[in-house]
Amino acid sequence: MQPNQNIKSKPNTEPPRLATTLLQQLIRDELQEEIIGDLKEKFQIALEHKSVTGAKLHYWYQTLNYLRPFAIRKRSLHTTTTGMLNNNLKIGWRQMSRQKMYSAIKIGGFSLGIAASLLITLYIIDDLSFDSQPKHANRIFRIYQKYQAPEQLYQWTWFQAPFAKTVKQMFPEVELIGRYNESELFGVGNAQIRRIDQPDNSYEEGITYFDQELIELLELPLIYGDSKTCLDERNEMVITRKKAEKYFPGEDPTGKLMIYNNETDTPIKIGGVIEDFPPNSTLQYDFLVSLANREMWEGESDNWNATNYPTYVRLREGADPNEFAVKLKKIAEIYLMKRESNPEDWFKNTSYGLQPLRDIHLKSADISDPVYNHGDIRFVWMFGAVAGFILLIACVNFINLSTAKSASRAKEVGLRKTVGSFRSHIIRQFLVESLIFSVMSFVIGVLLAWIVLPYFNDLAGKSIIFPWSQLWFAPCMIAASILVGFFAGIYPSFYLSSFKPAEVLKGSFARSNKNALTRSSLVVFQFTTSVVLIISTVVIYRQMNHILNAKLGYDKDQVLVIRGTNTLGKEVYPLKEELLNLASVKSATIGDYLPVRGAKRNGNYFKLQGEESKENRGASGQFWRVDPDYADVMGMKMIDGRFFDRKMASDSDAVVINQAMAKELGLDKPLGQKIFNYRNWNIIGVVENFYFDNIREKIGGLAMVIKDPSTGNVSIKLSTNDLPGTMRSIEEIWKKFSPHQPLRTMFVDETFASTYDDVKRMGQIFTSFSTLAIIVACLGLFALSAFMVEQRGKEISIRLVLGASVRSIFGLLTANFVKLVLISIALAAPLAWYIMDKWLQGFDYKTTIGWDVFAIAGSMAVLIALGTISYQAVRAGLVKPVNGLKSE
Amino acid sequence: MIETRLGEFEEVLLLLVGILNDDAYAFKIAEEFQNQTGREVSIGAVHSTLDRLETKGFLTSKMGNATAERGGRRKRIFTITAIGKRALKTSYEFKVSLWKQYPDFAAKFNFG
Repeated sequence: MQPNQNIKSKPNTEPPRLATTLLQQLIRDELQEEIIGDLKEKFQIALEHKSVTGAKLHYWYQTLNYLRPFAIRKRSLHTTTTGMLNNNLKIGWRQMSRQKMYSAIKIGGFSLGIAASLLITLYIIDDLSFDSQPKHANRIFRIYQKYQAPEQLYQWTWFQAPFAKTVKQMFPEVELIGRYNESELFGVGNAQIRRIDQPDNSYEEGITYFDQELIELLELPLIYGDSKTCLDERNEMVITRKKAEKYFPGEDPTGKLMIYNNETDTPIKIGGVIEDFPPNSTLQYDFLVSLANREMWEGESDNWNATNYPTYVRLREGADPNEFAVKLKKIAEIYLMKRESNPEDWFKNTSYGLQPLRDIHLKSADISDPVYNHGDIRFVWMFGAVAGFILLIACVNFINLSTAKSASRAKEVGLRKTVGSFRSHIIRQFLVESLIFSVMSFVIGVLLAWIVLPYFNDLAGKSIIFPWSQLWFAPCMIAASILVGFFAGIYPSFYLSSFKPAEVLKGSFARSNKNALTRSSLVVFQFTTSVVLIISTVVIYRQMNHILNAKLGYDKDQVLVIRGTNTLGKEVYPLKEELLNLASVKSATIGDYLPVRGAKRNGNYFKLQGEESKENRGASGQFWRVDPDYADVMGMKMIDGRFFDRKMASDSDAVVINQAMAKELGLDKPLGQKIFNYRNWNIIGVVENFYFDNIREKIGGLAMVIKDPSTGNVSIKLSTNDLPGTMRSIEEIWKKFSPHQPLRTMFVDETFASTYDDVKRMGQIFTSFSTLAIIVACLGLFALSAFMVEQRGKEISIRLVLGASVRSIFGLLTANFVKLVLISIALAAPLAWYIMDKWLQGFDYKTTIGWDVFAIAGSMAVLIALGTISYQAVRAGLVKPVNGLKSE
Repeated sequence: MIETRLGEFEEVLLLLVGILNDDAYAFKIAEEFQNQTGREVSIGAVHSTLDRLETKGFLTSKMGNATAERGGRRKRIFTITAIGKRALKTSYEFKVSLWKQYPDFAAKFNFG
C-alpha cells in the first residue's frame, strides 16, 4: 500500500480538468453533482492500481461514456445562436434563389476555379510523390560528379564500372550501392525477345543491366524470386509483372529461359518477377539483366576510363550525405587524377554530389542523366501559380458581384440595424451566405474535377487517380471550402455591414466612388492575369511550332526507319538492295546513328594531326559510323568538299565533319587536313550543322566515317503519295528476310515531334487553363455588365427617348470596361514578356517575342471582353424606353 | 409468452440495487457489477440503465449524503419500488417455469 500512498500524495492527482469542463458543459444540470462525484470516486480507485496517466485516460473513457441521450443537456432549438444561424441560412438561400443569374455565375465561376486548381494540385502532388516508394528513401541518393570548367559547370551521373564496389570497400557508411546501365551501346535498351520454346520474337524496350544490390536498395517488391539472389548469375534477368503475364501467363516464370536477340547459345534465365514500376518512378524498365560476372569488354570491371553506370547508394542511418560526398573525392585522388593531363587543376575543379532519391524527378535540370520523364520544379511552381490565380479570379468575381449588388441589400441592412441588429450579426449573415456559395461550389467543383480527370490525365501525360479514399482528402476539401468562403466573404460582409441606417432608409444612399474603384481594380487584376496567360500561351505555341518546323539542317520528312535489323546479320545488305528496287524508295542507308534524340550516341575527342601529344583534350564530339548514302537519305547539305563515295577506296580513311567540329578545331580550311582519333583521318568534306540532339542545346561537334556501320536500322527516303501501298511492299520484302519478327518502323519526323512532347504538353496545359481563367473572368464581367445595365436602366431609357441611337448606348456602356481591359493589357505585357523571356532562355533554338504577340493577345482580350459585354449592352439599347420609365 | 419487460442487464442491475441497499448509487453498482460478473462496464452505461428503470417505475431515487473522496458531492441512492420487486419476481418465476418444462436437461446438469 505504500506506493499508493505516494501516488495519492502527489499534487497532480485531480481528474483532467478539460474532461470535467466538458461534463459541466454537456450534462444536464440536475445530474452533474452525482455524476462528477461518481467519476471522481472512480478516479481515486483507478489511481490505486493504475499510473496517473492511465487513471486520467480512464477518466476520459468514463466521461465519453456519459455522453448518452439520457444525460446530455437538452438544447432548445430556439436559443438565439442556433435560431440566428437558421435565419442566416434561410435568408442566404432566399437571396440566392431570388437572383438566379447572379448566383449561377458566382457558383459556376467558383466551381470552375475550384475544379481547375484541384486538378493542378493533384498534378503537383503527383510530381512531388516521385520515387517516394522505398521505405528508406531519405537515405537513398544518386551519386553525381561535378566538374567546374572555366566557362561552365558540368554535372553528370555516369560512373566507372569499378566505382561502386570501390566506394563500398572504402567507406563503411555505405550500406548498399548499386549500378545500372541502359546504354544501347552495350546491347540493352531494346531487343528482340522470345521464350525458348516459341519461334517468334517480340520487340521489347525498357531493357537495362541492373545490379542485384540495386534491387535491394530500391526495395523493388518481388512477386517471385528472392531479392538477394534473383540477379546473382550472369545470364539471368528479372522481369516485371506485366511482362511475366505476357510471356508466362498463369505460371511462375522463375527458372524459365528466354532468348535474347536470337542468341540461342546463351539463353537468359528468369531470376524473379518484380511489380511494375509505378508511374511515379523515374526508373521505368521491364527487363533487368544481371550484371554479375559481366564485362562489356575485357577488363572493364577494373577500368577507370569509361563512365557508363548511373550509381545509387543507401547510406547507413545517421551518415551525413554532405560529408560523404566530400570523402568521395578520395576516389578521384586515387584512381582518376593520374590519367589527367593537368592533375592538380583537374582535382581542384572536380567534386562529387549526392542527390536525394526524391529530388531526381524534379531537380535534375542541370544534371545529365539517362532519365526521360523528368519533371521540372520551375514548371511545378508556374503551374501552382496558375492554379492560385484561377482561384483568385473566381474569388474576385464573388467579391465584385456581392459588392455590386449592395444597393439591393442596403435597405435590408438599414432595417436590421434599426431594429437592433449589431454589426457583427450582419457580418455573420453575409459570411454565412458566402459559405453557402463556397460549399456548393466546392461540391460542384470536386465533381467536375472528378469527371474531367481522365481527360486531364491524357493532356498532362499522367495517370492520377482521384483521391476519394485518401484520408486527407475530405478534411482538406471541407477546410478549403470554409477558408475560401471566408476569404471571399470577408470584404463584402464588412463593406455591406458598414451602411448607415439613417442614410440608407432616407433613400439618399449612393454608390460610393471608392467602392467602384475597388471593383475596377479587381477587374483589372482579373484581366491582367488573363492577358498574361494568353501571352504565355501564344509564346509557348510559337516556340513549339518554331521547334517542329525548325530548319534542322537535314530533311526529316518522308524518312522511314526500319528497326531491329541487327537480327538479320549480313542479310541486311541484300535487304537494302531489294528496298531500293521499289519505285517509291529514293535512297537507303544502313546505320544506327540517326539524327533524332534517343538514337545511338557516343562521345569522343579529336585532335589535329601533329597535336596528338599535346596536353589538351582536343575537340569533343560524336564519332559516327555511317554508309555513303547517309547524307543523301537525310538530305544533308555539304558546305565544303564532298560526302563519301563508294568508288573511292581511299574514303575508308576519310572523315566528314560538321561546321561545329571545324570551328572547335579552329580550322578555317578543313579540307585535306588530318584529325586524330586513335588514328589519322583525312577530312574530305564539311557538312552543314544539323540538330541531332536536344534542340534546347547548342549543336555539338560531329565526325562521320564509313568504317563498318552498325546494322540495327535501315533508313529509307520515300517519295510517294501512296504511303499504305509502299508500306505493304516494304512489309512483303521484310517477311522474306525475317518471317519470325514483325516489321517495326518509325518516321523520323514523328520521332522528332515526340521528342518535344513536353513542350507540346505544356502548350496544351497552358491553353486549357488560360482558357479556363478567361472564362471565369468573363463570367464575372458578364454579370458586372448586367448589373450596370440594371443600374442605369432609367438613364438609358431617357437617353433613348431623347433620341440616342443603339450604337451610342453601346458605346456608353462598353467604354468604361474597354478602358479597364486596356489598362490590364498595359500591365500584363511587360510582366508576360519577363516571364516568357526567362522560359525561352532554356532553349538554344528559340523564337522571338515580337510585338505581334502582344497585339494578338491584346486584341483577343479586348474582343473577348467586348463580346461578353455587348450582349447586355445591345439588349439595353434595344429595350422599349417606356418599360424603364413607367414605374415612376 | 409472459412479458417481463426486463432485459438481462436491467435485471442484474435491479438485483444489485437490492443487494447494495443503502449503498446503491451508480459508481458502487458499476463496481459491484464488475466484481460479480467480471465484465467491464462504464459508469455511464450503468447510470443510463438505472435512469431507464426509474422511468419505467422499477426504481426510485433520492440524493444521499456527500463524502470527501467525491469532492464533497452528494450521491444518488436508488431503491427498488414495489413494481420493481414484482417484475423481478415475475421474471424469476417465468424462468423457473421454463426450467420445469426441461426436466431431462435440468436433471442432466443436476441443478437443485
